[in-house]
Amino acid sequence: MSLDQLLHTLQDLPLAAAVRGDMPGTEWVFPIIETLHVLALTLVFGSIAMVDLRLLGWSSRGVSGARLIRETLPWTWTAWICAALTGSLLFLSKAVAYGGNFEFRMKFVCMALAAVNMLIFHCGPYRRIGDWDMGRPPAAARLAGAVSMGLWIAIIFLGRWVGFST
Amino acid sequence: MFRPFADWLAATGLSQLLQNELWVVPTSQSIHIICVCMVFTSALMINLRLLGVWSASRTISELTGALLPWMWGGLVVLLLTGTVQTVAEPVREFVAPMFWAKLIMVVIVTVMTAGFAGKVRSNAARWDAAGPRPNGARAFATGSTLLWVAIIVCGRFIGYTSALYT
Repeated sequence: MSLDQLLHTLQDLPLAAAVRGDMPGTEWVFPIIETLHVLALTLVFGSIAMVDLRLLGWSSRGVSGARLIRETLPWTWTAWICAALTGSLLFLSKAVAYGGNFEFRMKFVCMALAAVNMLIFHCGPYRRIGDWDMGRPPAAARLAGAVSMGLWIAIIFLGRWVGFST
Repeated sequence: MFRPFADWLAATGLSQLLQNELWVVPTSQSIHIICVCMVFTSALMINLRLLGVWSASRTISELTGALLPWMWGGLVVLLLTGTVQTVAEPVREFVAPMFWAKLIMVVIVTVMTAGFAGKVRSNAARWDAAGPRPNGARAFATGSTLLWVAIIVCGRFIGYTSALYT
């Protein structure tokens, strides 16, 4: 099955029609799911930004970096799962249009890069966090914070643009 | 009642300029969302800490000291970007009851937060003590969380409901 066929199959699911508002009584399903997506993403970005700003040394100076990361990570993952579930439902509703949308594709490229950045951070400077926990993070950690912040800002912009370009 | 004013505003040179530059509104909205992330995540972390749901290692006064400056800064940018969006699309905003509900709730939660911040500053030791929190702490935390969620829901629904009133 080609990607195009797959997108059509997804979009033809009854669930997709319900999210799209094509069934009686489902006119408000899309706005409600989108609002839940916004609530979830505020916590994804907000919690990631707190860690990034600590890595950059712009905020929470004097707070243990390891502790901040440990206490913030459950928020990020819980909210990310909610955003991914609601986002998947939104995607189903117009799978063909979103699949071919430039901003939508770029958003996923940025999320993949953010995941790679996170892995590099966790396998690199995070392993030696004991050395810099209370002080200024090393250059590799600051770079990870800056890259993450830039990518997530781009993800928010691209996500907003998808709504204007589909 | 607000419609004539909205129509007048929409016809002004400034509003026309913002309307004709197609990138202005999505850009402003993206910055608006990023600030919502900072403000909402900060508020939720403080509120859940007050309710004892989130057992952060930082005390109340440490947490508010670190997060409130970001909340105030975020609120200023929210006001600026919100103004840009309102001048660019005055009718869309002014006819929607959700817009006015949102504004009223923003004023209430801002006053509540300023009052709370003042109380924590003037008596940090009592707020940081392990014992029961001062009166009203739970009410503030619950009320503030519900107001922020309602503000975000209203904000998203302005775009979906204003067509019903024009």
